[in-house]
Amino acid sequence: MRTETRIQLFFRYLELIFYKTYADLRAETERTYLGFMWWIFEPIMYMSIFYVMFGILLGHRTDDYVPFLLVGLTIWQWFKSCLSHASETILGAHFLMKHVNLPKIIFPIILILTDTVKFLFIFTLLLAFLWLRGYQINEYYWALPVLFFVQLLLITACSLILAAIVPFLPDLRFVVENVLTAVFFMSGVFLDVSKLPHVLDFHKQLYYLNPMVNLIEDFRNVLMYNRSPDWQALAIISIFSLLGIWFGKYLIQKFEYVYPKVMP
Amino acid sequence: MTTEIITNQEVQQKHELIMSLKNVGLSYRRKRGVFGEEFWALKDVSFDLYQGDTLGIIGRNGVGKSTLLRLMAGIMQPSHGQLINTGYQASLLSLQLGFIYYLSGRENAILSGMFMGLRKREILKRMDSIIEFAELGDFIDQPIATYSSGMLARLGFSVAFQVDPDVLLIDEILGVGDAEFYQKSTKVMQEKIHSNKTIVFVSHHAALIQQLCNRVVWIENGVSRMAGDTRTVLAEYHKFLHLESAA
Repeated sequence: MRTETRIQLFFRYLELIFYKTYADLRAETERTYLGFMWWIFEPIMYMSIFYVMFGILLGHRTDDYVPFLLVGLTIWQWFKSCLSHASETILGAHFLMKHVNLPKIIFPIILILTDTVKFLFIFTLLLAFLWLRGYQINEYYWALPVLFFVQLLLITACSLILAAIVPFLPDLRFVVENVLTAVFFMSGVFLDVSKLPHVLDFHKQLYYLNPMVNLIEDFRNVLMYNRSPDWQALAIISIFSLLGIWFGKYLIQKFEYVYPKVMP
Repeated sequence: MTTEIITNQEVQQKHELIMSLKNVGLSYRRKRGVFGEEFWALKDVSFDLYQGDTLGIIGRNGVGKSTLLRLMAGIMQPSHGQLINTGYQASLLSLQLGFIYYLSGRENAILSGMFMGLRKREILKRMDSIIEFAELGDFIDQPIATYSSGMLARLGFSVAFQVDPDVLLIDEILGVGDAEFYQKSTKVMQEKIHSNKTIVFVSHHAALIQQLCNRVVWIENGVSRMAGDTRTVLAEYHKFLHLESAA
């Protein structure tokens, strides 16, 4: 008789999560001729488009608009790709979970890890771009790991909740994509709403309820303006994210044995 | 509804009880949405599984045999009734589980083994015997996208065969691959079944059940009609089939 203790089980699943993340990343690189070089080329292409568009064609070559935009896009892209991919994970693992009993929570976690590894590549490129443009490493860089961690908490919370619900409401997938686009325009990727004239204070406060507004602004503060991030906002985001993670985990565990019965 | 015939009571008392099902039922929702009607894949199933048993589950197509295995594997939970597992690990024999097309045979063996409950180091330890049994040689480090369907089947079987749960649940599959490998895989599988392992074997093939199993549960329309020693249950099953076809 082989009964695993909770700790043994935990480590077995952890090993599985890491190996599957590695396998998914490797499979992605094996699919193309250039392999993992695409993790570098793709963001370069993506960033170049914005550079040409705004930096050259719209004449923002000298001011800091292009770096401003690219920081926002990079940070947003991490959040967006995790959420839109994670919402499909439990549904997508349908075949697997009909054959083996696994905690379903591992599927969104694997996705978050894969997308985060890819983000780290893009972020390194962003740093290189910023340094080339003359932005220097400053004393607030030590806050970057904290910013990463807080955003990872936020991503995990949203991803778990989405992954938990989408199997029952697959129609939600279409809504998620559009809501993400809407939030994208409300997250200050393109412009700093707080600096616009004629904005009511009340609207400004509403605007800052969006956690991504705060995170993107904090990243910009650290990377471009040598300013400290807003610790109070980060603390609030962390608390709500932890609650969200708890809720998502609760939902997934509640439906642990229902998911294998749901039609894909 | 179930008639439990205990002919070899002494044998059963000597062996430990592994799993016990009492009036187990399981329902799915047939359609999406609020108005999806319920569909009972299993209605009332009762039987016990003892250590060292080779238990056959027989029944016609679509009577809920595969669902029953999923219940026993802990993948689903009964909608009503009771399933007691006294603490053993039961898993389905699944071939090519979690295989990723673009990865090598070796990586897929590790991944698939881990999905089925092995630790990475356990798979690495058995890698040589997996490669040897699958007759893959140097191909093991090639992406499985380049494999023939026969090679893929051999790799899938060799990995799945390494997984050694307390209770092995087999859904129809005994052997796979071309004629030669089919014989080889069927042979090792039958050896495993004949060993002292606890096995649950699902089939609609009475001859196979007769050959392999010491006890049989007969499922009809989601209900366990009878559980007991192979000969008695199969005889009743045949009688039933005969009546059905006559009617």
